[in-house]
Amino acid sequence: MFKKKTLPDLIEELRSNENIVNWHEMQPIEAKTTPFEDSVDPRIRAALQKRGISELYTHQGSAYRLASRGENIVAVTPTASGKTLCYNLPVLQAIAADETSRALYLFPTKALAQDQKSELNEIISEMGIDIKSYTYDGDTSPAIRQIVRKAGHIVITNPDMLHSAILPHHTKWVSLFENLKFIVVDELHTYRGVFGSHVANVIRRLKRICKFYGSNPTFICTSATIANPKELAEQLTGSPMRLIDDNGAPRGRKHFVFYNPPIVNVPLNIRKSATVEVNHLAKEFLRNKIQTIVFARSRVRVEIILSHIQELVKNEIGTKSIRGYRGGYLPKQRREIERGLRDGEILGVVSTNALELGVDIGQLQVCVMTGYPGSIASTWQQAGRAGRRHGEALILMVASSTPIDQYIVSNPEYFFDRNPEFARINPENLIILVDHIRCAAYELPFKNTEEFGPLEITEILEYLQEERVLHKSGDTFYWANQAFPASEISLRSASQENVVIVDQSNVADVRIIGEMDRFSAMTLLHDEAIYLHEGVQFQVEKLDWDHKKAYVREVDVEYYTDANLAVNLKVLEIDKSRNSGHGAVHQGDVAVTMIPTIFKKIKLTTFENIGSGPIHLPEQELHTRATWLELKDTDPELGAKILEQLLLGIANVIQHIVPVMVMCDRSDVHVTSQIKAAHTGLPTIFIYDHYPGGIGLADDVYKRFDEVKEAAANLIRKCSCKDGCPSCIGNEIEGIHAKQKSVQLLLSL
Amino acid sequence: MSSLRDKMNRLRGAASTVPSSEEPVAAAAVAEPELTIESQQATAQADDLETLSEEWSSMGVKLLHNEGGSFLIRRLVYPANHRHGTHCIGELSAAVSGLSAFHESAVAAEELLFLDLETTGLGAGTGNVPFMVGLAYWAGSELIVEQAVIRHPAEERAMLYYLHKKLANYRYLVSYNGKSFDWPVMQTRFIMNGYNRKLWEPLHLDFLHPSRSIWKNTLVSLRLSHVEEERLGIERIDDVPGSLAPQLYFQFLADGNPEPLRGVYQHNEIDMLSLVCLSIRFGHLLNGIGTGEFELPMPEEPEELIRTGLWLEKMGHGDRAEQMFEAAIRLEQGAAATLNMLAARDKKAGNWQRAVLLWQKALAQSVHHGSAGMNASVELAMYYEHKLKDYDSALSYVSEALELSLGHPLGRKDAKRRAEIEALRKRKERLLRKTGRNLAEI
Repeated sequence: MFKKKTLPDLIEELRSNENIVNWHEMQPIEAKTTPFEDSVDPRIRAALQKRGISELYTHQGSAYRLASRGENIVAVTPTASGKTLCYNLPVLQAIAADETSRALYLFPTKALAQDQKSELNEIISEMGIDIKSYTYDGDTSPAIRQIVRKAGHIVITNPDMLHSAILPHHTKWVSLFENLKFIVVDELHTYRGVFGSHVANVIRRLKRICKFYGSNPTFICTSATIANPKELAEQLTGSPMRLIDDNGAPRGRKHFVFYNPPIVNVPLNIRKSATVEVNHLAKEFLRNKIQTIVFARSRVRVEIILSHIQELVKNEIGTKSIRGYRGGYLPKQRREIERGLRDGEILGVVSTNALELGVDIGQLQVCVMTGYPGSIASTWQQAGRAGRRHGEALILMVASSTPIDQYIVSNPEYFFDRNPEFARINPENLIILVDHIRCAAYELPFKNTEEFGPLEITEILEYLQEERVLHKSGDTFYWANQAFPASEISLRSASQENVVIVDQSNVADVRIIGEMDRFSAMTLLHDEAIYLHEGVQFQVEKLDWDHKKAYVREVDVEYYTDANLAVNLKVLEIDKSRNSGHGAVHQGDVAVTMIPTIFKKIKLTTFENIGSGPIHLPEQELHTRATWLELKDTDPELGAKILEQLLLGIANVIQHIVPVMVMCDRSDVHVTSQIKAAHTGLPTIFIYDHYPGGIGLADDVYKRFDEVKEAAANLIRKCSCKDGCPSCIGNEIEGIHAKQKSVQLLLSL
Repeated sequence: MSSLRDKMNRLRGAASTVPSSEEPVAAAAVAEPELTIESQQATAQADDLETLSEEWSSMGVKLLHNEGGSFLIRRLVYPANHRHGTHCIGELSAAVSGLSAFHESAVAAEELLFLDLETTGLGAGTGNVPFMVGLAYWAGSELIVEQAVIRHPAEERAMLYYLHKKLANYRYLVSYNGKSFDWPVMQTRFIMNGYNRKLWEPLHLDFLHPSRSIWKNTLVSLRLSHVEEERLGIERIDDVPGSLAPQLYFQFLADGNPEPLRGVYQHNEIDMLSLVCLSIRFGHLLNGIGTGEFELPMPEEPEELIRTGLWLEKMGHGDRAEQMFEAAIRLEQGAAATLNMLAARDKKAGNWQRAVLLWQKALAQSVHHGSAGMNASVELAMYYEHKLKDYDSALSYVSEALELSLGHPLGRKDAKRRAEIEALRKRKERLLRKTGRNLAEI
C-alpha cells in the first residue's frame, strides 16, 4: 500500500537527485521586535494582543512612528512579514483618535482589496471601535455605494476604480476628501511600466482633488524588494519619501533548489522540457498530500501543466483539488480557488504570476517554478508563497532551455548575490499624460499657470483647447465636451478594446468566459487557435475583429497552437547617438507595424509540429521609443547569410537580458534585427517599448547600454554549449565560431 | 504647438484609444459684454439690455449681474388660464393638495419649485455642466418660468449665486428624474463652486417614479415628451430633442452666435409647462376622480388601470384603488400577466376569492402560450393544496403547469427555468404521494 511521505522525507530524497545543480539553504531567522509606542490606543493594543501580537517587528515600529508624524513612507517587506500592520496601525490609530479621519487604500487588484477588508474588519471588531471599512469596486452594489461614500472611514479600492468612478464624481465623496489623512499604496512594485505610468497620473489627479477640499494626506507605500523603492514611490506619488527597510520578521528554514533538466540532445545542447519535469515533480508532492503551488510563465503554459498534472494524479486525488489560476478567469472563480487553498480543500494550484501578489492563499509548503520568472524580485515573491514564519519549505526552480534560465542555474551567485531590478515608470509619456490631463480637467478646471505633478502644461491645455475639449475663459481652462473621458482610458493596457471571449458550445447557454487585450488576441485568439481555459480546450471558431469578439467552442484535441508575428520597423527621429569603434547606438522614435502570419499546431505530448495555417488579421501600427544598435564596418567575409544569423542570435540574447535588467514583463520590450535597416541599409538590432509613445524601457537600455552589452556577452561566453545552442544565440552554425563572433560584434559597439 | 499636435497625431494614429475630435471650427471671439461693477442684489432685476446683441433680445433674454458676475436670464409669465394640452396650468391650485400623499405633509402651490436642466453631457460627473437651468414657480395667480443660461463656463458662479438665493424659498423640488439627475448635478455644481453641500435639502416630487409604476408596460417610452403626448394631450411642433442640446450649445460656445439656442429655450420651456401639467394630473388622481370640474382622461386598458390602482394603494388611497381594480375586471380583456399582477396583490391582501377567480381567468386565456398561464396554474395548485387541502384539484393544476412549461416553444430553458420545472416535478410527486397514487403515473 502507498505510504505517504512527509516533506522532510521528500527533501532528503531530492538531495541525491542528479539534476539538482544548486542547493541553497536559508537558515531560520529570529524576530527583531520593538514595544508599542505609548500613543497607541489601548483598545488597538488589546485587539492585537488577542491575536498574539504583543510587540511590533522593527519595520512595523518605524512605519508607525514616521507615518504618525505625517511623513510619507515606503516600507520594503518580503512576503509574509506582517506588512499590513505597517499601514493598518497608523490608520486605525488616527481614526481612533479622531472619528472624522479618513483613509484610502489602493490595491492593484480587486482580489487583494477583498482580502484586506476581511482582515481589517476582524481587527476592527476586536477593537470595539466603530470603524467602518468598505471595499469600493465594480462589484459593490448601488445601495452600499451610498453608505461607503458618506460613512466609510477606510475605503479600499483599486486604481481603475479611483480613475473612472471616484475622481470624476468627487463631489459625492466630500467627507472622504475633506478628511483624508492617509493614502495607502500596497504592492507598490506592481505599479511599473504602462500601468505604473498611468497610476502616477491618477495620483496626481487625486492630490489635486485633495488640495481642492483642503486635505493633505500622508502616503504609506509597501513594496516587495526592488532596487529603487524610494525612487519609484516618489515618482508615483510625487511626494518625498522615507524608506523603511529594517525588516524584523522571522522566517522558517527554506531550501531554494535549482533543478536543470537533463540534456537529451548533446550536439544541440537541448534539454528535457521543463514542463515535463515540473509535471513529474509536482505530482510527487501532490500524491503525498503536500500543498504545492506551481508557477508557469504564460497562460497557455498554466493550462498545459494543469491538464497534465490532473491527468497524472486523477486516480489518487480528485482533479477538483488541483486548480488553475490566472488573469482571464472570472472573479467568482478566482475567489473560490483562493478560499479552497486557504482552507486546504485545494491541494495544488498552477498559476501565472497572478498569484505572486499578496492574495491570501494561506501557507503552502512547496513552490515549483517552471523556468526563471524573469526577474529577481518576482522570483522572491513567488518563492515567498512557500513557507511563512515557521516550518520547513521547499522552493524548486526548474530551468527551461532559454538563455537566461541556463545562465541563472549555472551562475547561482548572480541570483543570490545580485541586487534586484529597477522598476521604471514614465508618467510623462505624452499619450498617457494628455489622457489624464483630460480627465483632470473634467474633474476641476485648470488655471492658466497650474502645474500637473512637476510639469508645466500650458502647451497641452492650449492644444486641448484647439481640439475643442477645453474652453478657455479668462485665465481658466474648463472642460467643454460631451464625453466622459475616464471611460475612454484603460490603465491596464495599450488599448481599451479588449477582445471578449464567447463560449458557444451550448447554443442554449452562450456564455462569456474571459477577455484579452487586442495585441495578445492577434496571436492567441485568431481563427482556429486553441484557447485553454481552466484546463479545458476551446477552439476559436471565429474572431470578429471589428466587434472584438472571439467565438469559441469546447474541443478535445491533442495539440495547442503557436502563432508567428511579422514585424516591420521604421525610424522616425533620432534623439541621441553614441558612436564607437565599429558602430553606433541610437535612441529615438520608431514606427512598428505588426501582422500575424501563420500559426503552428504543436502536439501536446511531444511538442512536435503537426500542421499549420494562415492568419488573416489587419496590420497594427505602433509608434514608440526605441534604442538600436548599428554595425558599421562588419567583416565582408562573413557574408550576408551568416551575418543575419549572428544578428538574430544576438537579438535573441538581448530579448532575454533586457526584461531582467529593466524589470518589466517580457512582452513590454521587443527586440528585432534587420540585416539592412530601411533608413541606413546597415545591420541593425532594435529594442523597442511595446506601448505607444514608450514607457522608458528602451530609454533605460540606452542609458545602461554598457551593462546590457556586458551581460549579453557574458551569457554567450558562459553557456556550456560548444558553438551556439537554443539557450544562447540559437542553433549552431557550422564551423564559423559563432559564439566568438557574436561576442566580438557585441563588444565592438 | 504644431509640434505637439504632430506628435499627438502620430502617436494616436497608432494608439487609437482616443476618438478623434470634431472638425475644428475657427473660434470667433465671443463679444465680451462690458461688465457693470455695481454690486446688485440677486433679485431678478434685469438691466443693461444694450450690452446684449439683437439675437439675444429677440429671444427675450436679459443680462443679470450679481456678486458672482453676470449671466443671462429669460423670464416668462403665464396666466393661470393658460391651457397646455388637456389641462389649464391654473388647475394646479386645486390639484396640489393631492400631492401631499408623497411625503405625508401638506403641500401648497407656492412651495413648489419646478426644475429642469439642459446639460453639456450625460451623467452626474463633475464635468457635466448645466448650461441652462429651467425653473418655474407660482407667484400669485401667475406661473413664472425662468431660464438661466451661461455664455461661458466662467459665468456659472453668477448663475449659482442667483440660484442659491432662490432655492431657500421653496420646500418641494418638482422634477422628472430630478432625484437622481437634475438635483445631484446641481449639488455637484454648488460644491465645486465652494457652497456647502447641504445648502438646500428639498423634498422631492420626482414624477418619473410614479410614471414608471403606472406606464411601464403601456407606453413605449417614459421620456417626458412621450408621456405628455400620450397622456397630457400635448403636441410639440418642431421640437429640438434634448439630446441635441449639448451639441447646439458647443456650437454657440465656438462661434458666439446664440441662434441655435432658440430651439433649446423652447424645448426647455415646454418641459417646464409639461412638468406643471404632470403635477396636475397626479394631483387630480390622488384627489379622486370625477370631481367634475376638471377633465381627467382615465386609462382604458386593464394593465394601466391595475397599475394605477396599485400605485394609488401604495400612496394610501386604497378605496380609490379598488375602483380601478373593479373597472379593470369589468373590461374582460386583460392579459393573463395583468390578471396575475392583480391576483398577486389580492393574495397578499388575503382576498383569496378574487385571486382564485383571476388566476382561473388568466389560465383560461393562455392555454397555448405564455409563462403567465403557468404561473397562474402554479398559484392555483398551491391554493388548492395548502388552503383547501384538495389534492386532486391541486394535482390537476400542477400537471397543467408542467405541460405548459414543457410545451412552451419560445421560452429559453435557462437555469432559472430548469429550476422552476424541477420544482414543479417535486410538487407533483408530493401531490401524488398525498393523493396516494402511484409514481408511475407521472
